[in-house]
Amino acid sequence: MALIQIAEPGESTTAHQHKLAVGIDLGTTNSLVATVRSGEVSTLPDSSGQHLLPSVVHYAENAIHVGSEAQSYSVTDPLNTVVSVKRFMGRGIEDLAVEETHYSYEFSETNSVIPRIKTRAGDLSAVEISAEILKALKTRALETLGDEINGAVITVPAYFDDAQRQATKDAAKLADIKVLRLLNEPTAAAVAYGLDSGNQGVIAVFDLGGGTFDISILRLNNGVFEVLATGGDSSLGGDDFDYVIAQWMIEQAGMDDMGDPASKRLIMQQARAAKEALAGAESTGVSLDLGDIHWQGTLDREILKALIMPLIKKTLMSCRRALRDADIEKNNIDEVVMVGGSTRTLAVREMVAEFFECEPLTSIDPDKVVATGAALQADVLVGNKPDDEMLLLDVIPLSLGIETMGGLVEKIIHRNTGIPVAKAQDFTTYKDGQTAMAVHVLQGERELVADSRSLARFELRGIPPQVAGAARIRVTFQVDADGLLIVSAREENSGVEASIDVKPSYGLSDSEVETMLRESMEHAEDDMHSRSLREQQVEADRVLEALDSALAVDGEQLLSDQERSEIMDVRQILVEVKSDTDKEKIKQTIERLEKACENYVARRMNSNIKSAMQGHSIEEYASDERSEAEES
Amino acid sequence: MSEEILTSNFFELFGLPVSYRVDLNQVQQRYMVLQKQVHPDNFANGSDQEKRISMQQTSWINEAKATLEDPVARAIYLLGLKDIDFSLENETTMDAGFLMQQLEMRERLENIQSESEPLDRLEGMAEEVKAAATVMMDGFVKSFEDERLDEAREWIRKLQFMQKAKKEINTLIGDIEDELMS
Repeated sequence: MALIQIAEPGESTTAHQHKLAVGIDLGTTNSLVATVRSGEVSTLPDSSGQHLLPSVVHYAENAIHVGSEAQSYSVTDPLNTVVSVKRFMGRGIEDLAVEETHYSYEFSETNSVIPRIKTRAGDLSAVEISAEILKALKTRALETLGDEINGAVITVPAYFDDAQRQATKDAAKLADIKVLRLLNEPTAAAVAYGLDSGNQGVIAVFDLGGGTFDISILRLNNGVFEVLATGGDSSLGGDDFDYVIAQWMIEQAGMDDMGDPASKRLIMQQARAAKEALAGAESTGVSLDLGDIHWQGTLDREILKALIMPLIKKTLMSCRRALRDADIEKNNIDEVVMVGGSTRTLAVREMVAEFFECEPLTSIDPDKVVATGAALQADVLVGNKPDDEMLLLDVIPLSLGIETMGGLVEKIIHRNTGIPVAKAQDFTTYKDGQTAMAVHVLQGERELVADSRSLARFELRGIPPQVAGAARIRVTFQVDADGLLIVSAREENSGVEASIDVKPSYGLSDSEVETMLRESMEHAEDDMHSRSLREQQVEADRVLEALDSALAVDGEQLLSDQERSEIMDVRQILVEVKSDTDKEKIKQTIERLEKACENYVARRMNSNIKSAMQGHSIEEYASDERSEAEES
Repeated sequence: MSEEILTSNFFELFGLPVSYRVDLNQVQQRYMVLQKQVHPDNFANGSDQEKRISMQQTSWINEAKATLEDPVARAIYLLGLKDIDFSLENETTMDAGFLMQQLEMRERLENIQSESEPLDRLEGMAEEVKAAATVMMDGFVKSFEDERLDEAREWIRKLQFMQKAKKEINTLIGDIEDELMS
């Protein structure tokens, strides 16, 4: 039977339609959104021409402000104005000792392990606050581009652990953004630079932002960006520079401490302004005017360098470690790329140049480079560049392990392993008739559980009762391309899938995220209904489009006539149903079609990898021909 | 299902003969070809099923590459293909002379930070370990190619000690360098 392409009369095929995708840099200090339009990548400005959106959220009596408007309340209403919320993402209450000295919030006393900041809008988690920033960026993109966004690449520090990544993804979910990929910031920066120059070789990306530091060593080859090693510190950045400058100022002014939240914010703002002034000048005047304190002084580059020296040294230690992990000598690094606002500080540039013994690249605005790279990747992922050769291969930044006897951690996946990765570990029972078992998953490099970051506790239930030691429970730790962990378990003797209760140590549980989503939806129910109907229709188009293009390629080879006609029948039903107003009906039909295609998809994926396995490289053909020529 | 691929052996996957001697350039080249076909980024807009299969296939390819590139992991994998088991239950005792050497090295490592010029000493030890590992590797290759598999297995067990020592030395070098910088 010949394959017939079925299209409704008058309906245009959507196959080559350009899709809108954005790259989002959700930063500690500033956030940005960028996109590719007519082949050109650019960051999107707001209506007043500003590209950077300050990552500040203000909760007013009846409104939520984000960006510079929120910033203006930073000193007058500090407790309801949240800055640098990224530093709280995926963090537990006990992590906040340092952060509390830098910022001025009140945390609510709850039995939750997640810190919640007290505001007049309630006790809010970092995920909810970050979602407001994402919503503001999404609104900006919708207004500028005038159409719906098909998906986004959101960047995260390479050194973010599982909890911090999950928190970022949850924030996107709350903001109703479809995440195509969580992309590591240094990798995004490498993409932005790499495509400019068509580079080949080994590069180091030094990314020092407002609150996080990353170093990544990458190998570039024919559009493939392969991360060899990554390192860093997810709470080290320009905010810490501001803090040491602020400490110096109050010391010079003869003050004991920074005082109340409002004066703390003011001093931190002055410190930051002084730091920024020194990016373009040898010295700058600083002053404090607080109550009966009236102080004036001068901060110069030399003092600044001395103040921040210990912090810069910390970054260089991470660089050394990453080089060792990558097994790369300093002199084998072809380029060093500088990313993040904090690399504007001259002392940072000088010391990085000295360390790597070469002049770092700074040609792309260090504030915009990450969003730019993310937009380029989003454009590829959403399917606008089917022939593009770009591929980003990342690694897991921190080792994953499980708790064993005596409070020790047994590493299961080592840091800097290429992702996605899966490792299985077998467990057994130690009591007769035992039907459940607890597994504690940790992340980090240290050997003691007490020194590692707790990710989650899993309880495996439903193990068939057997004598002690007889059960063989295989737990599989799967890390996906976003660096997120998925755990599954199965009792091998009986084939029973053990059920797993996930209790994320520092994250929101799925039900908490659901509750937040529901609450935010209640405010805009009608809107929600029409939107989710539209979403289902778009999804139906996507599925149909994907199926048609797959059938055109290999429908003949991989499917029998009967299989094909079964699929075509369900396909036809979806074509009829998709203009319906019943979103549930559309959804169910999509599921039915996907179910009907399951074997086909599996066969395609298999033939896909098989052809790659059998594919010869050009060099091989060349040498084959040579040897044949020699023989004849 | 996708399991067909997930049971292929690592050498086949990379188009290589089943042998200890591996062309690492080909591994790298083939890795790129495979990744461009199966990586989850190719299915960012795909169905959940496609995403899942792609993730499994990519994980398998990553595991294969890591195994083929690591001399010891590759050797263990090869022995595994010949049903030589490395699980702990089957451990026999190792030769006493070798174990004594290991204990001595451990003691030297423990005391090294209190000695003068610890970095130079560690670099020296790293060289020693590397030289010893080369001898063992050669021993393994010879035994393996002559099909003396139990002997090959013993070489790898010793090599595992060397690998562990190398790792510890590197960690110590890292710690000392960090201390010197701060």
